[in-house]
Amino acid sequence: MLARIVRAVLLTLVGLFFLFPIFWVLLMSLMTNQDILRSPPSLVFEPTLDNYAALVSGQLSTSVGTLKVAYMQNLANSLILSVGSVLLSLLLGVPAAYAFARFRFRLGENIAFTLLSFRFAPPLLVLLPLLFYFQELGLYDTYIGLIWVYQLITLPLILWIVRGYFEDVSADIEHAYRLDGHSWLATFLRIAIPLARPGIAAAALLAFIYAWNNFIFALILGSSDVQPVTVGALAFITASGINYGQIAAALVLSIVPTLVLALFAQRYLVEGLSLGAVKG
Amino acid sequence: MAYFEIEGLSKSFGRSAVIESLSLSAAQGETVVVFGPSGCGKTVLLRLIAGVLRADSGDIRIGGESIAHLGPEHRNVGMAFQNFALYPHMTAFENIASPLRARRTDEAEVRRRVHEVAALLRIEHVLGHMPRELSNGQKQRTSLARSLARRPAVLLLDDPLRNVDAKIRYEMRLELPRVLREYRSTVFYVTQDYKEAMALGNRVGVLYDGTFRQVDTPAGIYGRPESIRIARLFGDPPINLFPVRPERNGDGRAAVRIGDSDLSGPPSLDGLVGRDLLLGVRPEDVEVLTEPADGAIPVELDALTPLNVRSVMLLKAGNATEILASCPEDKRPALGRGRRQVWARLDLGRALFFDRATETLVH
Amino acid sequence: MASLTLDNVSKIYRPRRRAEVLAVRDLTMHIGDGEIVGLLGSSGCGKTSTLRMIAGFESVTKGEIRIGDKRINDLPPARRGVAMAFEGYALYPPLRISDNIAFGLLRDRRPKAEVARKVAGIAKLLEIDAILDHYPSTLSGGQQQRVSLARALVRDADVHLLDEPMSQLEPQLRAVLRARIKDYLIEHRMTTVFVTHDQTEAIALADRIAVMEGGELQQFASPEDLKERPANLFVASFIGEPPMNLFPAEVGPDHRIHVINDANEAAFSIDLAGAGDAVTQVLHPGRKVHIGIRPHRIRVGPAGANDVAVGNGVDAVVRGTLLSNQWLGDQSHLGIEVGGCFMIAVSDRGVALGTDEPVDVGLPFGALHVFDRDSERALLHGMRPAEA
Repeated sequence: MLARIVRAVLLTLVGLFFLFPIFWVLLMSLMTNQDILRSPPSLVFEPTLDNYAALVSGQLSTSVGTLKVAYMQNLANSLILSVGSVLLSLLLGVPAAYAFARFRFRLGENIAFTLLSFRFAPPLLVLLPLLFYFQELGLYDTYIGLIWVYQLITLPLILWIVRGYFEDVSADIEHAYRLDGHSWLATFLRIAIPLARPGIAAAALLAFIYAWNNFIFALILGSSDVQPVTVGALAFITASGINYGQIAAALVLSIVPTLVLALFAQRYLVEGLSLGAVKG
Repeated sequence: MAYFEIEGLSKSFGRSAVIESLSLSAAQGETVVVFGPSGCGKTVLLRLIAGVLRADSGDIRIGGESIAHLGPEHRNVGMAFQNFALYPHMTAFENIASPLRARRTDEAEVRRRVHEVAALLRIEHVLGHMPRELSNGQKQRTSLARSLARRPAVLLLDDPLRNVDAKIRYEMRLELPRVLREYRSTVFYVTQDYKEAMALGNRVGVLYDGTFRQVDTPAGIYGRPESIRIARLFGDPPINLFPVRPERNGDGRAAVRIGDSDLSGPPSLDGLVGRDLLLGVRPEDVEVLTEPADGAIPVELDALTPLNVRSVMLLKAGNATEILASCPEDKRPALGRGRRQVWARLDLGRALFFDRATETLVH
Repeated sequence: MASLTLDNVSKIYRPRRRAEVLAVRDLTMHIGDGEIVGLLGSSGCGKTSTLRMIAGFESVTKGEIRIGDKRINDLPPARRGVAMAFEGYALYPPLRISDNIAFGLLRDRRPKAEVARKVAGIAKLLEIDAILDHYPSTLSGGQQQRVSLARALVRDADVHLLDEPMSQLEPQLRAVLRARIKDYLIEHRMTTVFVTHDQTEAIALADRIAVMEGGELQQFASPEDLKERPANLFVASFIGEPPMNLFPAEVGPDHRIHVINDANEAAFSIDLAGAGDAVTQVLHPGRKVHIGIRPHRIRVGPAGANDVAVGNGVDAVVRGTLLSNQWLGDQSHLGIEVGGCFMIAVSDRGVALGTDEPVDVGLPFGALHVFDRDSERALLHGMRPAEA
């Protein structure tokens, strides 16, 4: 009995510890700057939606007047960039993962590992040369350019996670489908992909999160046209002071899409693989 | 020209040759059992016939037409896998219907054929279930039904009874021949259980070291195994093997020494005097007696293990020669527990003689 | 070498936040000195829990376990005087096979020469003498199992416990190793308890077998008794390969037993008039039963011919159709359909009958078993009442 109480208390404390920043940010987004900066800080205050209003309308109020902020456009950019990169990675990565899982070809492991190694390299290493190339090719500050670069982040993830799931699908199930008279492509589309669906969903979600959170590529290789929320949040640090309330509101808005996606994809993540159709 | 032919088939993985120059012909509707110890390449052979593995060389023909270069979907071959390989996201009905749907059969016909084969295998009542809701026995029957559904020219059964428990395995072993007869496909059935091989095959091909070492009717393999290895694989308990060199005894007959005793051999032994042989006597040809008798040698009975239909006895001749004898349960001599002296009569008329060096049967 | 007694032993598992599991219920058995006993049942029946309680790896929830006269419930495994061969082999990876086998003997401080002799002896018996210098990781499953067995059998202990001792054994070796192990156990007068789910193995080795199901002891008897006088339907259907033919039936007003097939129709009937008062008293009209007959007691012959007729070991004849006839080298297995019921018969010689031929099926009363359909307890074996 005592063990259970102690355990509950400890879990609550740990939970509070990790969730507190998010909770505080949420609170801040509903406070005025004055409330935030009050010392000592207080949990009792009058909530206000002014911060959100400012973001949506695009008018940032500071102590020296209003500033135009394009945060909603930033949100849209983040969405375009993240969805775009994940879709492209899925299109390229899922068939590639299948090939790596099913076929044994020369240098196969080497190629796969090289693709994985992209994630090891610090982005700063490649950024400067990339900036010059992008400017030459006219890809600077374009969606296509950034989506292409984001593949460095999303493609290896999709490849390696989905490959593992394909390997877990018993090859005999695919052989059986072929022997039934279906083509190689039909087998891929109607057996391999449905059975690897949890893995594809998990990988896509993870890739989305990484793409959404990317800062450095968007900062250097993009500008006002394609600015995602990660870079856009910088605008809140103005010469005339930092409006914490609005930053907090911006943060909350930036979490929402990922949260929604995670809740939606959760169903697929939980589905078991091979559901007892193979002896076991 | 036989209906189904394999000619010079070879397949290696890296440097090991799993199948080497294997050839076989089979008639339409015949069941050929592919029998061999684990790792001998039986499953590889089936996969080569199915087309999910490509051979390094050789040809496979159905009705005279070569299929070796065709993908599995074009070969007119059905296969039931050892681990069932059912599609987990489809019902049992859809699993069985899959080969019919691939041929764009119309819905009414699909329904009729699925119910027909399901009725034959007694799984009509579970057609609406998903694979995870089926018992192992039901999964096995569903897998079988799927392979039969479109009446393929060649049916490959990869040890389908291995992962099913003893009772169901027993039932299926008795039912399967009838089911297969209905469908008249040429069947290749892989198993490691010699009793299954004898029960189900019109012919049995014993596969080891890369190719078929003997292909014959079950009775032919049991009665005249070409090598010691085959003789030991077919039979439980395995055949007794005694190293002997027949000599002429006082009566001019050829005789062999087993343990400390000399036994006169049958006339067929006369031509083998002086040769180094291995004498093979099956346990059921060793009769155990509680009293001395003509032609019976004294042995020590070390242990009696009753089984279900037969009893197995471990005997020791001389001080070191072990002999296994088996007799039907109801004919077992009345013996207590523990060691005792008995007499054993070996039926040398039914014995097999193998050359000791080449390990092959001497005719 | 000592006797082993289990006195009302129960084992209850209490996993957190889930229902209690009664793994073993009120088990009482007395095993004599030098006796070989098998615990037989399907997975989950309680046999492994029982073995582990005797060894000391599980606590005893209720009841008492005694070796000789000594209560061992509270003793740690090392002090109980038991030697165990584990299902997972549990070999010591850094030791050679010879050292693995010798481990227990060396710990008991036996002289080196004696240890070497014993290890060589048991290794030869189990055909692992060629690999004595190898390490466990290089061995196959079957070899590892034999080493585990050797390690347990070479020790001098009051009780030897073997958990699924031969499940991985290569089929070729099984017959001869079973016999050698039985000989060894008897020669050394070792009190042995082994666990198995394979009833063939149990029958081959044991003096007596404890059949368990759902944590309860179904019957504790010699293989002979289990086959000839199974106490209930479970034991009857579990023991025997091929399994006993069992059919539901009803006793008619005329002392005939009417057998019912899968589709609930009348299949065939057997006339028991003249079988004696003891029988007719038990089989009163309207009683619902199961009848059973072992495959090797059924006689099969061509229909109409007089090979199978009443008298000469047969008391009832029914007409059926032969569905399959399989010759397995030393025995024939026949599948017969009688009135929609499927029957298996075994003969130790070839039977010259073709499939789909009509056949006469002869049933000796002495081979008939009758079970009550509701309680599943045995009523009659042959034509004699089963014990209460």
